[in-house]
Amino acid sequence: MNRFVALLASEDPTITHHWLLPETAEIVYGGLASVIVIGALVKFAGPSIKKSFNARTEKIQKELDDAAGAKVTAESDAKNIRAALGDIAGERARMLADADTQATAVLTEGRVRITAEVAELEAKAEADLNSARGRSSDELRAEISLLASIATPAVVQATLNDQTKNELIESFISSVGAGR
Amino acid sequence: MSTVKIEAYATALFEIAQADGTLALVEDELFRVARAFESNEQLRNTLSDSTIPADRRQQVAEQLLGAKASNTTTQLVSLVVGSGQARDLPAIVDSLVKRASSEKQQEVAEVRSAVALSDDQKTRLTAALTKVTGKPVNLKVVIDPSVLGGLVAVVGDEVIDDTVRTRLDQLKTRI
Repeated sequence: MNRFVALLASEDPTITHHWLLPETAEIVYGGLASVIVIGALVKFAGPSIKKSFNARTEKIQKELDDAAGAKVTAESDAKNIRAALGDIAGERARMLADADTQATAVLTEGRVRITAEVAELEAKAEADLNSARGRSSDELRAEISLLASIATPAVVQATLNDQTKNELIESFISSVGAGR
Repeated sequence: MSTVKIEAYATALFEIAQADGTLALVEDELFRVARAFESNEQLRNTLSDSTIPADRRQQVAEQLLGAKASNTTTQLVSLVVGSGQARDLPAIVDSLVKRASSEKQQEVAEVRSAVALSDDQKTRLTAALTKVTGKPVNLKVVIDPSVLGGLVAVVGDEVIDDTVRTRLDQLKTRI
């Protein structure tokens, strides 16, 4: 003990024999200590570390597999979506074409119907006009007939004097005598 | 009145007139009386009214015909009126005229005119009707103002109408 203390006391701890390398004893002791620590680590912590690495590897692999599966699914979905998009575009085009066809048909039918209705209305208006014209004509004719039937006998009677009556009798006799 | 009764009266009147020797005159006068009777509703009603005593009706008839017809005609009309057959006087007279015409082989020609015909016109008309019908006619003229002018002759079933009234009716129909 005394010697150890004396040894420690004889050395200045602030002064080393080399500016880089430690003391030999420190290397030896340090080396041994490192071997012991490393060995302990390998012996006691190694399996758990290895297990942890394996689990991590499996997890990563699983994630990679899941990602690959997700990628396949995504590609399939993308394909389906693209197909659906294609169908939608086709359906849209078909519907637009149908709508155009129906619109054209409705327009054509409407034109035909309106043309027919206009023609019918024109014909009806023409018939009404003719009917009204005929009615007016008939009414006028009836009015003239009535006035004529009233006026004519009066006019004839006023102009029938005895001489005229005698001439009519002579005309009758001549006509009958001539064998009519 | 039945046809038989009308014929009986016509025969009686015919024989009386014939016996009297005035058949032509009586026939003509009776014909005119019958037409006047037809056209005058008041006269027809008066002479046919059974509520008026027969002698009163006869008196009316005799007063009406007294100055315008021969005595025989007046007596014959009075006879018919007094027996209550005045309403059938036209039919009796027509039958008498037809019988008288048949006796003379003639057809009755009833002519309606608005004015009276002169004797010359009657003669020429008779000749004309005889010519057109092919048989002698017994002309009977009826004064009918409703024809307005011209003449209408009815001989049997044949009608020759050239009156102003008919022409006016035709004109009215055409109008």
